Amino acid sequence: MKLRPYIMIAPVVLLLTATLGAGMISAGMQSLGYFPAAGLDYITFKYYKEVLQSPEFFSSMGFSLYISLVSSIIAVIAAIILSFSLIESKKLRRFFLPVLRIPVIVPHIAATMMMISILSQTGMISRLLYHSGIIGSYESFPSFLYTRNAIGIILVYIWKEIPFVTLAVYAILSRINLSFRDAAANLGANRRQIFFHIYLPLIMPSAISSFILIFAFSFGAYEVPFLLGPSYPRAAAVEAFVRYTDPSLANRPYAMAINMIMITAAFIMTWIYMKLFEKTHNRY
Amino acid sequence: MRDDDFKKPASKEKTIKNDSGKKSGRVHLTLPFLYALIIILPLFSLIIWSFTQSWPWPFAFPQSIGLRGWKYFFDVTSKSLSILSLSLCLACCAAFLSILISIPAARALAFYRFKGRKYIELMIFIPVIVSPAAVAMGVHMQFIKWGIANTFFAVMLIHMVFCIPYSVRLLKNAFEITGEDMEIQARVLGANTRQVFSHITFPSLLPALISSFGLTFIISMSQYFITYLIGGGRIVTFAMLMFPYIQNADRITGSVYSLVFIMVTLIFLSIAEKMMNRMYKDKIKENFYV
Repeated sequence: MKLRPYIMIAPVVLLLTATLGAGMISAGMQSLGYFPAAGLDYITFKYYKEVLQSPEFFSSMGFSLYISLVSSIIAVIAAIILSFSLIESKKLRRFFLPVLRIPVIVPHIAATMMMISILSQTGMISRLLYHSGIIGSYESFPSFLYTRNAIGIILVYIWKEIPFVTLAVYAILSRINLSFRDAAANLGANRRQIFFHIYLPLIMPSAISSFILIFAFSFGAYEVPFLLGPSYPRAAAVEAFVRYTDPSLANRPYAMAINMIMITAAFIMTWIYMKLFEKTHNRY
Repeated sequence: MRDDDFKKPASKEKTIKNDSGKKSGRVHLTLPFLYALIIILPLFSLIIWSFTQSWPWPFAFPQSIGLRGWKYFFDVTSKSLSILSLSLCLACCAAFLSILISIPAARALAFYRFKGRKYIELMIFIPVIVSPAAVAMGVHMQFIKWGIANTFFAVMLIHMVFCIPYSVRLLKNAFEITGEDMEIQARVLGANTRQVFSHITFPSLLPALISSFGLTFIISMSQYFITYLIGGGRIVTFAMLMFPYIQNADRITGSVYSLVFIMVTLIFLSIAEKMMNRMYKDKIKENFYV
């Protein structure tokens, strides 16, 4: 009887340890220089040291951090505003909730295709601006794709993430007892006070947890920065994969060191996420 | 469902809502509509591009319309349809198997308190937060060692890893909401294990099963990098097929493939949902006489 939950959970745990666990261990070993296939068989921190001293590593980490911070912050704020509008009107919900499901179905690479056809220098917006006489040639349209400002990448993420966060925040908002708001309004609170003192504290845990989820995703993603990013700096995952595919196997440990640093960062984020959930559990 | 919850305290609700609702109603509407446009308009640009023959800058409308992209898609040499069916098959397998092993796990997490539960929850959560690219490179090395790299099975396994957090979470919530009481009641009344499962557990779990199938299916369909790496170019999915066109910014072909991806996913999921819903409704009528 005591063993029962363990047996029930065994298939999932087995799958995760056989893939993720084994994968992380082999990445960890290689990052420490243990890679017999390439003739490396002594353990060293040399690769971490070199990676942590290389300017490419820092610029790629900074680039990834910039993309994921900006896109996640904008997505969460927009989602909070949107979910409040959803609460206000039932008609809007009926029309808007199905629309929100669209970006969930569209994969990142298709969203990238849309972004190219709209935002590139010869895209829709550039054509519109030409016809309204604002720009004379496509070269005078600012480039948002394949550049260091990464606006194209950020917009793809925002487009994909707003619905995700909106649905999470809306789920909490719609469960909040409206009598809180009514009581506050009765006692003379204005809309802003109601928002900051009643709603915001209640939706904060779900807003923060979805922030961490989308932040972690966009930080570690490969596809969109590969397709829309500049050749320098590269996003962290792209940088790691470039080193991974280096013809010289002796360069693999560098890729694995970058991967291990990214994985460690993800674990720290998971820990924060768990702590947050514990807190909210205790509070309510 | 949600709307019904709102209706309950009807009389008081309405008066208050009207007070505050009218003043700011318009402000609240513009923003969502703007956002809806932002969601929908890019889809239209895909549709227009997919039927374009030539559309040089700065023309606002295509100069000539044609079916070049679609012809290429349906051409046998592009292998689009066979790759698409392989992708659908892979996504179905990954979704089905991850749900299958998630059901007992979700149940254990919902109903049992056991040692190490917190760590297992944490472990199941890892794939969501850890970079798939970073993990996949290590997994790839491991799969090569075991001799399963570049196979359908390996790709399916790695897809399942990234599906499991979602299916476990959704099913666990469903188990927690339904509770064990109904099953215990049925058992007390003399139902055997199979009857309890087919009349109580399964129908009450169906909505969560539908939504987790949809989500895991989409996750598997959308994967590019991990499929590319673990499949080693041998297993080509639809996402991999369309990737080079997007990389080269080939708007006509890229738009056709993107549209097909979106439409096929939509149609496939709505059929799956309808089928399962029908089953669900029959079950409700059978069992609860509502």
